[in-house]
Amino acid sequence: MLRCLRLPAFVVVAACGGTAVAQGPPPVEPWRAAAVLRWGSDAEGGAPFVFVDPAHPERGEIGFEVELAHELGRVLAVRCERVQAPYEHLVQVLERGDCDFVLNGFEPTPARRNQVRFTRPYYIFQQQLTVAPRFAAVRSLAELAGQRVGVLGQSQSHQMLLSQPGIEVVVYESNVTAYEDVQNGRNAGSLADVPIARALRPLFPTLVDVGEPFGGFYYAMAVRRGDGALQQALDQALATLLADGSLERIYRRWQLWGPQQARLGDADVIAATAEAVASATPFAWGVALTLLGQGALRTLGISVLAFALAIGLGLAVALVRLYGPRPLRLLAVAYVELLRGTPILVQMLLLYYGLGQVEGLQLSAATAGVLGLGLNYAAYEAEVYRAALLTIPRGQHEAAAALGFSGAQALRHVLLPQALRLVLAPSTNDFIALFKDSSIVMVITVVELTKQYQMLANASGRFITLGLVTAGIYLLMSLPLAWFARRCERALDKDRA
Amino acid sequence: MISLRGIGKRFGDHTLFAGLDHDFAPGRTTVLTGPSGAGKSTLLRLLNQLERHDAGVVQVGEVTIPAGLAPSEWARRAAALRRRTGMVFQGFQLFPHLSVLANVALAPRVVHGLAPAAAEARARQLLELVGMAAAAPRFPARLSGGEAQRVAIARALAPEPEVLLLDEPTSALDPANTEEVVRVIEGLRQRGQTLVLVTHDPELARRLADDVVALG
Repeated sequence: MLRCLRLPAFVVVAACGGTAVAQGPPPVEPWRAAAVLRWGSDAEGGAPFVFVDPAHPERGEIGFEVELAHELGRVLAVRCERVQAPYEHLVQVLERGDCDFVLNGFEPTPARRNQVRFTRPYYIFQQQLTVAPRFAAVRSLAELAGQRVGVLGQSQSHQMLLSQPGIEVVVYESNVTAYEDVQNGRNAGSLADVPIARALRPLFPTLVDVGEPFGGFYYAMAVRRGDGALQQALDQALATLLADGSLERIYRRWQLWGPQQARLGDADVIAATAEAVASATPFAWGVALTLLGQGALRTLGISVLAFALAIGLGLAVALVRLYGPRPLRLLAVAYVELLRGTPILVQMLLLYYGLGQVEGLQLSAATAGVLGLGLNYAAYEAEVYRAALLTIPRGQHEAAAALGFSGAQALRHVLLPQALRLVLAPSTNDFIALFKDSSIVMVITVVELTKQYQMLANASGRFITLGLVTAGIYLLMSLPLAWFARRCERALDKDRA
Repeated sequence: MISLRGIGKRFGDHTLFAGLDHDFAPGRTTVLTGPSGAGKSTLLRLLNQLERHDAGVVQVGEVTIPAGLAPSEWARRAAALRRRTGMVFQGFQLFPHLSVLANVALAPRVVHGLAPAAAEARARQLLELVGMAAAAPRFPARLSGGEAQRVAIARALAPEPEVLLLDEPTSALDPANTEEVVRVIEGLRQRGQTLVLVTHDPELARRLADDVVALG
């Protein structure tokens, strides 16, 4: 019934829908036929764009973009459905066709304009620098040279920080965790879009907004390169919402309206994001390979240290479980079950952000990464070593005892050397697994090989070539490892008949 | 002096040996015989405390182990006892990751604190004694059963035990290999090494026994 009433509006929009109309009857686009438009966005740390209010989870997803999408749907006579996607992968999700457009505080950065088509801006915003209390005297970014500053990856703020000399940029997947690390003292400050900074202020009352908001940036919707008709439809719908005051009403409800929004209808603003950027500067393979190489070294370093920890701790846990007094034995069992039975991602987040909230337990990201991987893999190694020790025949224990070996001497000279051969294959397996799993440390801001690949690929759109190069680097590092393990096994097998 | 006084060993609700007394004469070979289940191997393993007794006293030299010691005290005395006894197992139980020489030299070095060179010199002498000197660099998996058992005897003798305990040392071997091993045991007997031997083979018992303890 409602849809019938709105049909005239739809016809009007289609008729104004741009030049394609002049070429005869246009093919009906799938979203018009289905009367559904899917918009991609990330609700994680998504206030005030799209988020679930922790105080009122029963209200479902709210945010000014939820309302904007609803209004756009009303004008276009379609139902707008939200598709959840990680912010950093919105372009890929759009290109894959999993959503029809992106509406998520999405900034028309040059890299993105090279990959997708943007609508006219629907919001004009500035940047806000927020710092820890001890930096409250700071007035601008330049004064934070030499300090760590957190930022949302792939954002306008990220671009801006990268162009500021002397600042150590720490990249986060959510503005909330970036603020979290300012609050717990790891970083000096965080740079964020003003709407985000305003929304996060009540959550982080100790942090201080310093200096005036600066710059002039746009949020615009993105569609696929070939979806010119959809872009024009969205532009028309935005124009309608701007003209009838709906847009202003939404922004006022969210306290996002300001004098600068009056410029949304200006010709230069409308034109600012419209044309696609022609292929930017040629891709700098040298720089990319250097960055991937640095990521690879970090991956290798973290993996080696974490596995050393896993071996040492795993052996201790296995020995306590096999030979320790009963209370310690139960503790060892609990350790293994706890670490094996919960996701490593949760352990990592607890270790970094959870402990980060406790004074004096703020680990650096690299330390937390090594510790998280090492503690987790120790549980698996403990089971491997325990199984190997249990496989050694009872007669070997008795032979050592009969010769007068103490328990420790028997372990050192008789049991462990035999267990070593048994654990070499499964342990190598585990090391290769850890080596690849080490990419999980990206969730705690460590930029290792996989993260570096993601950032480069996101910026350039070269997912395939960079992906193959990255896979090749992983392989180059893990193959020698497998080869080395086989050699060790052969060397240890000299006593086999 | 190796003696058992009033020994009892419980298995479920029945007791083996029921107060057995025995002195093993130094320099002689005692053979423990009896049907399966009579406790021959158990009695032998009481002598180095691979099995613990529930009644009586085990004594080797000045080490006495009464039944019912607290675990830490038992462990201390059992270690002392084991430094005075050597044991040869039915299944050899050589350490597969060590060469023949290292198998024999390990206990003198680790348990008795000999310098590595001294431990190796003693090991070579003992390998000579059992006719296995040429096999020093080989690994256990490449030895025949007879060879392995002769190395095991050398290993058990390396700490210079007061008594050598042999648990069915030939029952895993074919006749030719058995003969190799029995010759070595005969040699030890002639040198006056105190031996306690468990066997179910009457022929072997007749050939080696100075004294016989018949169980069951």
